[in-house]
Amino acid sequence: MLVTWKYRPRNTFVQRLDPRTRLIFMVCIIFALTIPEIWDYRIVLPLFFVSLTLYLLARIEWKDVRRAWLYISILVFFIVGLNGLLSGRGGPSSVTNLPSPVLFEVPFVIPGTDWGWMVPVTVSKLWFALNQMTRMITMAILAIPIPYTMDPNIYGTAFRRMGASDKVSFTMDLAFRFLPTFARDLTITMDAQRARGYEMDKLKGGIAGRIRRLAPLIIPVVMQSTVTGEEVIDAMDLRAFGTSQRTWLKELHYAPRDYMLLGLGAAIFITCCVLKWGFGIGGFFVPDFFTQFVVR
Amino acid sequence: MNESKNTWEFGTRQVVYGAIGAALYGVFSWATNIFPLPAAGNVTFRPAVAVLIFFGVAYGPWVGLLAGFIGNTLGDALSGWGFYWNWSLGNGLMGMVPGLVMAAISNFKERADIMKAVGWGTLGIAVGMLFASLTEMFVGGIDFNTALVGYFVPAFVGNLVVVAILLPVLMIAFAAVAARRGR
Amino acid sequence: MPNSPLVIENLTFQYRTRPELAIEAISFDLEPGEMLLIAGSSGCGKTTLARCINGLIPRSYGGKRQGRVLLHGKDVAEMQIAEVAQVVGTLLQDPERQIVASNVYNEIAFGPENLGLPRDEILARVEKAMKRLNIEYLRDRETFNLSGGEKQKVALAGVLTMNPSILLLDEPLASLDPASAYEALDVFRSLADEGKTVVLIEHRVEDAISAKPDRLLYMEDGHVKYLGPIHDLPKEIDHHQVKLPAQWVVDRVKAADETVKAVSRPEARERGEALVVFDDVDFRYNDESPLILQNVDLEIRRGDLIAILGPNGAGKSTLVKHAIGLLKPTRGHVLVEGHDTRKISVAQIARTLGYVFQSPTHMLYAPTVREELEFGPKNLHYEQAVIEKAVAESVSTVNLSGLEEYPPLGLSFGQQKRTTIAAVLAMQSKIMIMDEPTAGQDFANYTRFMDALCRPVNGSQSIVSANFAATLFITHDLDLAVTYANRVLLFGDKHIVADGPPEEVLKDVDLLLKYRVRPTSLLHLNLELLPRTGQFLPAEALAAFA
Ligand SMILES: Nc1ncnc2c1ncn2[C@@H]1O[C@H](COP(=O)(O)OP(=O)(O)OP(=O)(O)O)[C@@H](O)[C@H]1O
Ligand SMILES: Nc1ncnc2c1ncn2[C@@H]1O[C@H](COP(=O)(O)OP(=O)(O)OP(=O)(O)O)[C@@H](O)[C@H]1O
Ligand SMILES: [Mg+2]
Ligand SMILES: [Mg+2]
Repeated sequence: MLVTWKYRPRNTFVQRLDPRTRLIFMVCIIFALTIPEIWDYRIVLPLFFVSLTLYLLARIEWKDVRRAWLYISILVFFIVGLNGLLSGRGGPSSVTNLPSPVLFEVPFVIPGTDWGWMVPVTVSKLWFALNQMTRMITMAILAIPIPYTMDPNIYGTAFRRMGASDKVSFTMDLAFRFLPTFARDLTITMDAQRARGYEMDKLKGGIAGRIRRLAPLIIPVVMQSTVTGEEVIDAMDLRAFGTSQRTWLKELHYAPRDYMLLGLGAAIFITCCVLKWGFGIGGFFVPDFFTQFVVR
Repeated sequence: MNESKNTWEFGTRQVVYGAIGAALYGVFSWATNIFPLPAAGNVTFRPAVAVLIFFGVAYGPWVGLLAGFIGNTLGDALSGWGFYWNWSLGNGLMGMVPGLVMAAISNFKERADIMKAVGWGTLGIAVGMLFASLTEMFVGGIDFNTALVGYFVPAFVGNLVVVAILLPVLMIAFAAVAARRGR
Repeated sequence: MPNSPLVIENLTFQYRTRPELAIEAISFDLEPGEMLLIAGSSGCGKTTLARCINGLIPRSYGGKRQGRVLLHGKDVAEMQIAEVAQVVGTLLQDPERQIVASNVYNEIAFGPENLGLPRDEILARVEKAMKRLNIEYLRDRETFNLSGGEKQKVALAGVLTMNPSILLLDEPLASLDPASAYEALDVFRSLADEGKTVVLIEHRVEDAISAKPDRLLYMEDGHVKYLGPIHDLPKEIDHHQVKLPAQWVVDRVKAADETVKAVSRPEARERGEALVVFDDVDFRYNDESPLILQNVDLEIRRGDLIAILGPNGAGKSTLVKHAIGLLKPTRGHVLVEGHDTRKISVAQIARTLGYVFQSPTHMLYAPTVREELEFGPKNLHYEQAVIEKAVAESVSTVNLSGLEEYPPLGLSFGQQKRTTIAAVLAMQSKIMIMDEPTAGQDFANYTRFMDALCRPVNGSQSIVSANFAATLFITHDLDLAVTYANRVLLFGDKHIVADGPPEEVLKDVDLLLKYRVRPTSLLHLNLELLPRTGQFLPAEALAAFA
C-alpha cells in the first residue's frame, strides 16, 4: 500500500493555468451557485458546461478517475434519493412540497422491518432532483482533476500568494511531505502486527470490540509521529523558520489566460448575485415543457 | 517549551503538528476507504476522527483546525473525490473545539482529564458535523430533515463511538511517550 | 581566544523534567578547520551538548543551564535563533526527520528562504551547495524516494546553504550502510579542510576515525572522561562501551592482562531438516516495477544461525518477508514446514516463524508490557495457561522482569527492542527472523543483547538456540556476521551471491566490496589469524592469539 500522489505533468491548457486561478475560479463557481442559491436550470446548465469544459481540458484518463466517479454517483444518488424520502421543511428543497402532480409512488421500507411508507414522486420533486444532480456535479467536477494536474509542491506557494500567512501555507507543504511517510509507516505496522497473528479481516466482537481492535494499527503510527514531530520542530528552528518574512522560491505569474478565467469567474459570481437579488431570477421553478413532457 | 500551555500560540510547533495531524488524518481516512470496517446501518466509522480529536486535545485549537481542514481535504483528494469545502471546514471545527481544552489537561492518563477530553471531543463532533450538515443544505440542496437525519445523526453517532473508544487509548499511550521525552 | 569559533566554558545542564544533570562542567574550545569527535555511550549527554551549542538549549528545552557557550565570542543564549543558524549548521541523527520539503530543491533552499534572502541569492547558494556535494542530479527528485545516503547529503546541503562556520553532526552515520558511511565521512573531512569547524558526534569510533578527527572528546554520564589526540586514547576508555578498531582492542586486552573468557562460537551444528524452502522464487512489487528477487533458491535448516548481508535496497527485507508470507512470490514457491505460503495465512505461519521488525515503534501499542506480550499468543488462540507461561518465560529470557506492568512506549529504546523480541518469543515459534536487530542502538547495548540472544555461555545453549530451531538476522554490521553467525548469506543483484560458513564467505574481500560490504578491522584481523584460530572470534578473544 503506497500512497502515490497521482500528479503527473501534462501539457494541457488547464495545467498551464496559474494554480491560484484554478482555485479562485472554483470558489467563484461554488459561491455563485450556493450564496445566492441558484436553482434555475437556465443558469445551472450553462455553468455545468463551463465546468465540464474545464474538466475535459484537463485530459485525465478515465481509468484514473473511474473510482472517483463511482463514488460521486453513489453519493449523488444517495443524497437525491434520501432527500426525496425524507422531504420535509426547511432548506431549498422545501420548494418540492408545493402542490404538484404526482407521477407515481415508491414504496419505502426500512431495511429489516416491514415498517415503511409510500413516497410520492411529484413532477417538481423529479425536476428538483435533476437540477440538484447537475448542480452538485458542476461543483465537484472542478475539484476532481486537481490532484492529478496540480504539482503538490505548488500548493504552499499558491496559498501564500493568495494571502495566507507563511506559517499556514507552510503547514500545507509540510502535510504533503509527511503524507507518504505515514502511509508507509501504516503499511509497516500492519505487516508487523500481521506477523504477530493479527488479522484485519477477522475482527470479531461487537462494534466497540472491533473498533478497539484497531488500536494496534493506529497507536504505533500516531505515537511515532508525535516523536518525529519534536525532531522536525528542532530541524525547522535550526534553519530559522518563522524568524522573518519568508521568501518563497517558486514564483507565480498570471498570464493573460489567467486574467480571462478570473474575469469570467468574477463575472459569473456577480451576475448570479445580481440576477437573484436584483431581479429575482434564479430561484427554483418547474418549466412548463418538463411538466408537459412527463405528465403526457 | 510548552510548560505554560498557551492555547492560542501559533509557532513552529503548531505548524509541525498541524501538518502531522493533517497527514495522519488524510492517510487514515483514505485507508478506511480501502479496507472494510465495521458499519451498522447508515453509520460508518472513521477511526481517523479519534486521531484528529487527539491532536486537538494534545496540541491545541490551531493544530486541530489545520489538521481537520487540510487532513480532510487530503483524504478526499487522495481518494480522488474532489473538494467538499463545507465538510473540510466542519472537520476543522471538529478538531478545533477540543483544542480549547488543551491547557486544562495536565495528565493524559488521569481519568478525570480523559473524561474532559472526551467531553470536549463530543462537543467538537457536534459543532463540526452540525456545521457541515447544515451547510450541505445550500451546497447540496437538501432540506433540513435530510441534513439532520441523513447526515448529522449518522456522522455524529459514528464519530462519537470511535472517539469514546479510541481517544482514551491514544491518550494513555501518549502519556507514556511524553514521559519519556519530557520536553 | 576571542576569535575561536566555539568556546565552551564550564557548561552544565539539567533538563526540567529530570532529577540528574545531563551534562556537567564541560569546557573546550575549537579552532577554524578543526574536527572534534565526540564519543560515548547512549544517554551520556552528546545530544544535550549539541543542543547547547546550537541554541536549542536554552531556547526550546527548559532546564537549568550554567556556564557559557561562545560562538565567535558571542554567547549563544544572547543571540537570535536566525543568527545562530547562520553560524552553526546542525545535521540531526535521522535525516528522514530533518527533511521538511517534499522535493530536493525546496529542501535545500529552506533555510535561506526562511531568512528572507532575495531570490537570486538563494538560487546561487543552492547551486553552490549542490555542486559542493555532487548532488546536482538529485535536483528534481522527491525527498521521499531518496535512499538513506542521498537523504543525508540533501540534508547536509540544506545546512550548507546557511553558510555556517561550525558544522555540528549528531550521529550522521546511523542510518547508512558502511559504504555510504565512508563516503559521508570523506565529505566531512573535506569540509574541515576548507576551514569549517566540525563537531562530529558518533559512537562508532572505529568508523569515525577514518575521517581523521584532530581530537576526541569522550563522555561518560555527562562528564568529560578524555579530551585529547586520538591515537593515544587512555586505558580508561572502555572498549565494551564504544566500538574501537580490533587491533586496539587486542592491544588493550593484552596490556590490561585481562583474562580472556573462552568464547565459544555457535558451532556449525549438525544441520537438520529444512524448515523453510525457497524454490526458484521471482518477485516484483507490481506489474510496472522491476524484479527484486530472481531465481532465489534457499533452504533454512534446523540449527542455522544465519546472517544476511548486502547493500541498501538490494531486497533483503523483501526476501525474508516471503518467509512469513507477508509477500507472496510472483513465480516459484516458498514452503514453510512443507506448506506453501500462498495457501496458508500469515497468522498460521506465525505459529512456526517469528518475525521481529526493525523498529520497535512500529509495533508497540499496549498499555503494559504484559499485554503487549500477550497480543501474539492471543491472536493465535493459545490457551490462557499456555499464554501466561509463555509470557513469563519470555520476560525473564530478555531480562525485562519487573517491567511487566510498565507501558512499553515509556521504555528506553533498548528496552523497547527487547520487548519486541519477547513479544515474538512469547508466540513460541520455531524460527526467529530479525530485521537489523542492532540498528539505532549503541555498541554496549547491542553487544549485551546479541550476546544474550546468540552466544552460548559455557556449553549451555544461547537463548535462540534453546528456543528456536533456526535464527536469521539481516544486518549492515559485518562484525555481527563475523561474531554471531554460523552461516552467512550475501545478497545482491536479485539473488544470493554467496552462502556458507562465515570463514568461507567472508574471506572473499573483493566480492564483499562489490556488494558494498566494507571489510572491518575485525574481519581483517580474523582473516590474518584464521590459520591459528581456525574460526572467527570477537576482538577480545583474539588477544589470546595475536
Ligand atoms: N528532552 C529531554 N527531556 C528530558 N530529558 C532528556 C531529554 N533529552 C535527553 N534527556 C536525558 O538526558 C540524558 C542525556 O541524553 P542525550 O540525548 O544527550 O544522550 P546521547 O549521548 O545523545 O544519547 P544517544 O547516543 O542515545 O543519542 C539522558 O539521560 C536522557 O534521557
Ligand atoms: N512496498 C514496496 N513497493 C514497491 N517497491 C518496494 C516496496 N518495498 C521495497 N521496494 C523496493 O524493493 C527494493 C528492495 O527493498 P528492500 O527493502 O527489500 O531492500 P533491503 O535490502 O532490505 O534494503 P535495506 O538494507 O535498506 O533495508 C528497493 O528498491 C525498494 O525501493
Ligand atoms: Mg543523541
Ligand atoms: Mg531492509
